[in-house]
Amino acid sequence: MPRPAARARQSSVDVWRPSRATLALFLGPAVLVFVGFTAYPVLRTFYNSLYLVGPQGAAEFVGLQNFSKALTSDAVFWTALRNTAIFTLVATPLDVFGGLLLALCLYAGVPFARSLRVVWFLPVLMSNVVVGIIWVWIYDYDWGALNMLLRAIGLAALEHSWIGDPATALWAVMAAHLWKWLGFNMIVFLAALHALPADVLGAAELDNCGWFAKTVHIIIPMLRPTLVNLLVLSFIGKMMIFDLVWIMTEGGPLWSTETVSTYVYKRAFDWNTFDLGYPSAIAVLWFVTIIAFVVGISWLFRQRDRLEF
Amino acid sequence: MLQVGEAGTWRLWLAYVRRTPLLLFLLAYTALTALPFLWVASMSLRTTSEIFANPYGVPTHPHWSNFADAWFGSNYSTYFWNSAIAVIGAVIGVTIIGAMAAHGLARYHFRSKRLFRFIILSGLVLPPQMLILSLYQILLDYQLYDTLTGLAIVYVATQLGMTVYLLEGFFAQIPQDLFDAARMDGYSDFEIFWRITLPIGTPAIFTTVILNFVILWNEFLYAVVLMTSDENRTLPLGIMHFMGDHQLDVAMIATGLMIAIVPVALIYALFSDTMIRGMTAGAVR
Repeated sequence: MPRPAARARQSSVDVWRPSRATLALFLGPAVLVFVGFTAYPVLRTFYNSLYLVGPQGAAEFVGLQNFSKALTSDAVFWTALRNTAIFTLVATPLDVFGGLLLALCLYAGVPFARSLRVVWFLPVLMSNVVVGIIWVWIYDYDWGALNMLLRAIGLAALEHSWIGDPATALWAVMAAHLWKWLGFNMIVFLAALHALPADVLGAAELDNCGWFAKTVHIIIPMLRPTLVNLLVLSFIGKMMIFDLVWIMTEGGPLWSTETVSTYVYKRAFDWNTFDLGYPSAIAVLWFVTIIAFVVGISWLFRQRDRLEF
Repeated sequence: MLQVGEAGTWRLWLAYVRRTPLLLFLLAYTALTALPFLWVASMSLRTTSEIFANPYGVPTHPHWSNFADAWFGSNYSTYFWNSAIAVIGAVIGVTIIGAMAAHGLARYHFRSKRLFRFIILSGLVLPPQMLILSLYQILLDYQLYDTLTGLAIVYVATQLGMTVYLLEGFFAQIPQDLFDAARMDGYSDFEIFWRITLPIGTPAIFTTVILNFVILWNEFLYAVVLMTSDENRTLPLGIMHFMGDHQLDVAMIATGLMIAIVPVALIYALFSDTMIRGMTAGAVR
């Protein structure tokens, strides 16, 4: 029996308890699409990872053989793993803290901050095909902007075949990737900065706190939730990087830019091995790794928060 | 008085000097983000021989005919319309399906709500590699492989999580009183969605429409896996294909890039604030 005082609210709650038909009407289509084109493919990938999947879909059960093959005897897989790890570990902090730096520049009250923000965000909206081709041209040995610039300022000795040389290719792709994504982190930080309570910053100003101290001791701690979010987001994005690498180098030269994602694609569709099972196993391994890292990072930061307060 | 004034000017001048490195940095970064696009735009109006004579020249006699050549001579018009069909179809689909689901989650109370929300949003963190291999098989099974319909359906699935996530957040902020009043007036469940949530949620829906359009217009991975024949290629694939065949026809590639850039740039020019807000909403909420 609902108490009289709660009856009014209770009845309004009851009105919003949907019938089966209503529920099916609103959520049915979404659930159908999800089940058919997200859940089912994911389960099928898990299933495939235990099989040798032939060209006509003929599958032969091989158990965990695909996994053990990837982990023990596939040198290219380990190279791809290494490259992806380097890419993720180096590019994630550069991306996030670079974005923070750009946001702080605009937050410092410079002229035309609004227009600059619009221009800096532009690369984020461009297709990786656009960004990739532009950067392939910029890195071109003969007429690319980078080498032309080096020659113009008398550093011709440094000119280089940036994406043709295995030693520099990964870094060159990384630079292009950062160029595309810095604006995204910048804009998120900028929104967070403008949401900071003005009185705290004002108090810091009264205490004659320098801008560096202000940034390190006040702004960054207050931005922590945003910072953690962006680190996780950026981390996931880099673990899965495919488009830009594929467009700029296709994983070459000599596997120097091969990432896990490009290798999965290559094994499935580019090599004439006609087996979807082995790349599925790599995809599953990588999926589990990503989930483990995301859970780990979230747990790490949550734990620290608890210690602080 | 005079002395104070002078000290003031002096300090102001000093402040400017101190900020010079910052301003120079701003200038350099702006050039770094904007110049590559201007460069492509200029190349798209020059001939390849002009470009090889001087890659960084300005188009003194702009060759607008490049665009006509790209459109009629190469397959760029096909690619463009393929992209338009797949993307617009997918955006319409994901907006309708996503808005209905978001309304259902934001408005109703039911026991399995958390489960539904978790299921639909879990698509947000899935790496595409977990999907592409089996989607390839599944679309083959249903004879949707290498069709724009199949690609559009896959696009709906990939964008559904984000769309529901953003719209549910917006819809939940609509005052509950409106809906209670509508109930009293005897509106049916669907009428409430159609005549209250949709009109009031239009700005939010518009944000997701623009966001999904741009993301899908640029999409590459699913298209490259699920489309093979030339007459079905979307614009990003078409440009890559053209580049593979005509590596040295820089002008025509640049023209193709401009065809891909212009729709996004136009939308951005008109709705930059909406787009920026939409993209940040996904990251901070």
